[in-house]
Amino acid sequence: MPELLHAEPGTAASHRPRAAAALAAVPADATASQVWAALGAAGILRDLYDRGASRPAAPDPGRLSELLGAVDARGDNGITLSVLVQAASALPLLAACAPEAGPVRAALDETLSGTATVALAATDDAAAGSDLTGLGTEVTIGPDELVLTGGKRWITTAWEADRLLVLARHRPGRHFTSFTWVLVPATAPGVRIRPAGTDLLTGSATGHVEFDAVRLPVDHLVGRPGRGMAAFARHMGTERLAGALWAVALTRRVLADTKQRLTRRHIDGQPLWHNDVVRQRYATCLVQVRQLRALCDSLGEQVVDRHDLAAAALLKSAAGLVAEPVLATCAQLQGADGFARDGAQHIRSEAAVLGIGGGVTELVLGTVADNADALLAELSP
Amino acid sequence: MDARFSELLTPFLKFLGEQEITPDASLRELGLDSMQAIELLFAIEDTFGVTLPDDDMNDTTFATAGSLWTVISAAIDAQGAADGTRVTAA
Repeated sequence: MPELLHAEPGTAASHRPRAAAALAAVPADATASQVWAALGAAGILRDLYDRGASRPAAPDPGRLSELLGAVDARGDNGITLSVLVQAASALPLLAACAPEAGPVRAALDETLSGTATVALAATDDAAAGSDLTGLGTEVTIGPDELVLTGGKRWITTAWEADRLLVLARHRPGRHFTSFTWVLVPATAPGVRIRPAGTDLLTGSATGHVEFDAVRLPVDHLVGRPGRGMAAFARHMGTERLAGALWAVALTRRVLADTKQRLTRRHIDGQPLWHNDVVRQRYATCLVQVRQLRALCDSLGEQVVDRHDLAAAALLKSAAGLVAEPVLATCAQLQGADGFARDGAQHIRSEAAVLGIGGGVTELVLGTVADNADALLAELSP
Repeated sequence: MDARFSELLTPFLKFLGEQEITPDASLRELGLDSMQAIELLFAIEDTFGVTLPDDDMNDTTFATAGSLWTVISAAIDAQGAADGTRVTAA
């Protein structure tokens, strides 16, 4: 596996202040590309993956947490989603598959430096998001060129991306060996990208993509033919950890805001924060978020370094199961104010992506159930 | 089939029960789904120190225990020949 990084190692302790400092100069209405460029220019993205040649595709869990915390603090969930998918899904795949030279290596280097953005295009026009092996986008692998035809839906960062990392099938059938990743420049003839048309997560530049006989040189294959799904599965855990870390950052931010509001608002001369029912509901949320954080801390390295898919499923399902009730409670506790523009009710709607994107909670719980015996064994004293 | 291979395969076959793994055993019928097949691939490549050839990355290879072992043993032999240390798969 090629060495990913040549920069001097950073330190986890310095990462969040550096990320926050890098983002401080970025305008509040910056696009996903501008935020990504600022992080790249400050060396934050290279530091994230700077763990030595033996672990080129595995980000440091602590730095990933700090990066997502710093981006989430901007309060634009769409931007955070874009950073998350690029940092925790696209980069590990590129890092694992990039040869020493060529377009895939260039994509990796430019994405790490922040000079380019990349969208991960897996969810397909021809199948439900939860039915990945049913995807219809096809790549014909010839001796001299690739031809890509099909479409992708709800692709994060799509209409700001310089490149798309596309999961396609090179043969019929649902077997996991039928799929291959292809690197597609967004400007290649035959690529059409349109905004997804949603009022939620607008900063994420989510779009739908069509590929009409897109012709590319064969060096745009990412990894070996037939290993697309395996490569995806191997690094899926990193995105699942990132989702859980974002859920912690997001719920913490909304809980902090909610507490301030409860302290300021009075009923019959007493702050709402003094009401026992309110306090108990709030404390329940705090316990849930703290549990999620503990799960991230205990499983982070297991997921990114050992590719433990059962641990990743625990994190993914926990994020979905915690974020929804916590944010619903915060929105309820904020009363009518929760309906303000970009208020708690809006955030709650956007955070539903944590229980849908990258695998719906119910499906991921199936993986947890599949691993019941091993997980029970781990719980043994 | 190699005993190590049978041992490696067993945890992935949730419907195996007390049956012995035979070469014609259908891996899908014994409970190997897509995600588990991917994990099995990683386990095979880690355990035997081989990479399955691109041409053998297909559903025929993963159809039965015997078909999978045939490809693994060929990869082990090819790896041994490349290293100059011939290893014969059992």
